[in-house]
Amino acid sequence: MAGQTGGNRVDPRRILLLGAVVALIYGIFSLRLFVLQILRGSDYVAAADENRITRVVLPASRGVVYDRNGVLLARNVPSFEITITPASLPDSPAEVQAIYARLSSLTGVPIVVPGSKPSAECAEGRGIQDLVEEWTGLAPYAAVKIKCNADPHTAMLIQEQAFTMPGVGVRVSPARDYPTGALTAHIIGYMGPIPAEQREFYESRGLRIGQDRIGYAGIERSLQEILAGAYGQKLVEEDAAGLELRLVAPPQEPVAGTNLRLTIDTRLQAAAQAALQSTIDSVRARKLEFLRSPIVSGVVIAMDPQTGEILAMVSLPTYDNEQFARLIPLDYYNSLLSDQSNPLINHAIQGEYPPGSVFKMATAIGALNEQVVTPEKELFDPGEIVIQNRYFPNDPGRAREFVCYDRNGHGLVDFLRGVAVSCDVYFYKLGGGYPGEVAGGTTGQLEGAGLGILRIKRYAQAIGYGRALGVELPAEASGLLPDPDWKRINLGENWATGDTYIATIGQGFVLATPLQVLESIATLANGGRVMKPTLLRQFLDGEGNVVREIEPQVLWDITQDVTSDPDHLKVDEQWVRLAQEGMRQVVSYGTAADYAQLDNVVTAGKTGTAEYCDNIAQSRNLCQPGAWPTHSWYVGYGPFDKPEIAVIAFVYDGGEGAVTSGPIVKQVLQAYFELKAIDAAAQR
Amino acid sequence: MFNPRRWRHFDFWLLGGVAVLVVFGIAMIRSAIAGNETLADLPQRQAQNALVGLGVVLVAAIVDYHFWRALTRPMYVGLLAVLIYLEISGATTFGAARWLDLGFTQVQPSELAKVLLILILADDISRNEERIRTWGGVLRSLALAAVPAFVIFRQPDLSTAILTMVLWAAIIFAAGIKTKHLASLAGGALLIVIVAFPFLEFYQKQRLVLFLAPDADPGARYNVDQALISIGSGGWFGQGYAHGSQVQLRFLKVRHTDFIFSALAEEFGWVGAFTVLLLLAFVVYRCLRAARMARDTFGALIGYGVATLIFYQAAFNIGMNLNLLPVAGLPLPFISYGGSSLWSALLGIGLVESVVIHHQELEF
Repeated sequence: MAGQTGGNRVDPRRILLLGAVVALIYGIFSLRLFVLQILRGSDYVAAADENRITRVVLPASRGVVYDRNGVLLARNVPSFEITITPASLPDSPAEVQAIYARLSSLTGVPIVVPGSKPSAECAEGRGIQDLVEEWTGLAPYAAVKIKCNADPHTAMLIQEQAFTMPGVGVRVSPARDYPTGALTAHIIGYMGPIPAEQREFYESRGLRIGQDRIGYAGIERSLQEILAGAYGQKLVEEDAAGLELRLVAPPQEPVAGTNLRLTIDTRLQAAAQAALQSTIDSVRARKLEFLRSPIVSGVVIAMDPQTGEILAMVSLPTYDNEQFARLIPLDYYNSLLSDQSNPLINHAIQGEYPPGSVFKMATAIGALNEQVVTPEKELFDPGEIVIQNRYFPNDPGRAREFVCYDRNGHGLVDFLRGVAVSCDVYFYKLGGGYPGEVAGGTTGQLEGAGLGILRIKRYAQAIGYGRALGVELPAEASGLLPDPDWKRINLGENWATGDTYIATIGQGFVLATPLQVLESIATLANGGRVMKPTLLRQFLDGEGNVVREIEPQVLWDITQDVTSDPDHLKVDEQWVRLAQEGMRQVVSYGTAADYAQLDNVVTAGKTGTAEYCDNIAQSRNLCQPGAWPTHSWYVGYGPFDKPEIAVIAFVYDGGEGAVTSGPIVKQVLQAYFELKAIDAAAQR
Repeated sequence: MFNPRRWRHFDFWLLGGVAVLVVFGIAMIRSAIAGNETLADLPQRQAQNALVGLGVVLVAAIVDYHFWRALTRPMYVGLLAVLIYLEISGATTFGAARWLDLGFTQVQPSELAKVLLILILADDISRNEERIRTWGGVLRSLALAAVPAFVIFRQPDLSTAILTMVLWAAIIFAAGIKTKHLASLAGGALLIVIVAFPFLEFYQKQRLVLFLAPDADPGARYNVDQALISIGSGGWFGQGYAHGSQVQLRFLKVRHTDFIFSALAEEFGWVGAFTVLLLLAFVVYRCLRAARMARDTFGALIGYGVATLIFYQAAFNIGMNLNLLPVAGLPLPFISYGGSSLWSALLGIGLVESVVIHHQELEF
């Protein structure tokens, strides 16, 4: 306190005290400023940056999917959303109410829903005003979605009138559309929201949780990465109200997803589905006489045996993926889930069934190659044979009978006739040996008789059984090729000769997917090459130029070297040709003669009637001894000399193979050759 | 009275410090409006307010402060009348009846009341300087201060009501209240606070609760959090005038009034904020210097009261910005936008100048 004291009576100490308090308080402030600005400054700078910088995702357009002829199977269509930007609404409450009223009458969304809880945008049961008021406080410059999936007509009306309704806008966002719907649902699949457990993965790829969708099934899922492309992003500076001001850094542009051309021929797919559907309908009608709700499902796959290209793949019942295009309707989804025939499952690759007599071709090729018998050797089929229990060879009570489907027997049967008439006893004896007729082979045998289960397994693997084949679809099943170790581990029992016998004819523990069964026959048809089954033909860019051709891939050639086999099996070509001839005779006079012959094309094939007793059959008390229900199989291919197409038909609980499935294959083959003629005519 | 020789004693340092703060405040308001069109003319209006305020300072300085002694009674009555009129008419803005419409402009009578109350209290006490050392004198001046404070509290304007009582306490302290009386009063005040809390307005309670338990309401914390982010991101030298992202992108709210200190701390950093603190302290120091020099107790109490007024308002406002004190609507003197608060602060400065100019009875 400089200067002289005046004439006042105020105590200078009390003046000094106030000065000291000022110094103290401002000193504290200076320190506090130092702590905030200097010591913790970087934290606050980061917080300020977080305030102002917003990451905006630049979505990439998803790849479009065509069939082999350019028919659209999956595309992107605009989905219209009606939005309101709260900050752009007029100031006058009366004008705002008028806008609400107009929008409400156009879209059907109520203005106010009393008592509704805050929720996501577009949620049902919220009013226009509810949503706007809720978002005004949060981000007035962000457009609030009032109605999602508005129909295009409404969207156009609102767009036209938008200038009279400030703040109202129409936003177009891409939605997925499946023009062929249920016909190709199992191939194309569908999409859905990003599940919680995969959040981080997709967030790291720039996808927006709750907004972007990913493939859930089919090609949409298995080729998600290729179809999705790469999302871009930009960092923008926004003010507190959410108004975009400027770019902070150069934007990272999105890269559009790759377009796909599949191997599927939609016309053949339709023919296959029609043939299978009518068969299933008639089988069901027959069963309805004695069953309340028969489960009948089925599969048809058509493949080019030379390339592995899948031309058609039908699994019935199917579902309508078009209904899943924008959101997954809960009622519909639940009804699919509760259906015992599992419409959401692609039975062609995810169903595992006993392959029945089609499997005999694995035994056949193995028995010839291992010289268990010569093809000319005739074995006797009396209609049934009896196998002694090896632990109690003298106890007739423990002996087991194995019957041929023809109880009268086929008499003396050589290899070709064995294949043609599908003689069970002939194959029992090849597979498991038979005293006096088929002695043991050489190595790797269990019983010292016949081909033996271990070698059956190796040859089955060689032609495509027992492992997923790698088709570009999710969750392909691997099937099951049993062996003694498997039985001991899973059932705790020793392997019996009887197990080998029934495995020989594709029964018992043997399971295979329809695709594997088709692959086994296609391999023999093309001369021994195991082709990787594929749905992809070409990758295309946005202009339709081919970016990449998908070349046919030979997994291995059984006449050269079965690379998957530990001992590098090699099958003599002559046995493959003999197997082909056997399959030709199946059609010319054998089991399929009356059902699958084509008028002008020589075809070959193999039937299968596989007994089964799964949980559905058991629950319906259908497993009567000696009269189990049967799946129906038939695989056919043609032309015999130079096969272009191999087709499998499988009907669950379909009865006899040739009778039920033969005609389906025949129709698909016919359709194929007709389409080929049409295409050839069009070319000319 | 208009003897030019009197200007010899005019405190140009005080006026200079105040002028720097006011001009800086106008510049800061210009930055803080951040492109908001409805606020666009505020810098110009504040400049006009400052010019009017300069006139107020000069007139108040040249008029001998003893002149006001004759008017303190009508002032007191008039003040009460206006405050009560406000409460009855209920010209409510933001839920508080604080504004009086004079036709050509709106003023906040409670702002003027702060300065007038300094005059009234200083006058009353200095008329009988011994009386304040007795309980009777203390209670007499308490009654004098408490009546307008209560009316202001009913507006409701808790922070100004508290400020009124703080001014009274400072003045009686300077006037020489006995320490034991002071201690008793402090105890009584604490008791009143405890008893009165249940009668506070909801928003007033909420502000206190928010300060004491910051996480109680995340939504209400927004302003305080943004203030801290603004200050913290200033660093040593700030982000530059009109370049603070918190201010310019409007994440900081009420940036031209209550939170203008955060705005200047972001744009001018620690150095700028510290300089403002120094200037404010300097202005307070010059007011206390006047109190020391005053030729009589009346003048000394005016100096002491104005020093307290400026210090307390600045400390409360800055403490709130730094999240050391609860959020209260007290402006930062000389810097925050607002005509009424600027004028009342400048009127105080003018009175102090008058005390300095007239500190000698005889001029040669």
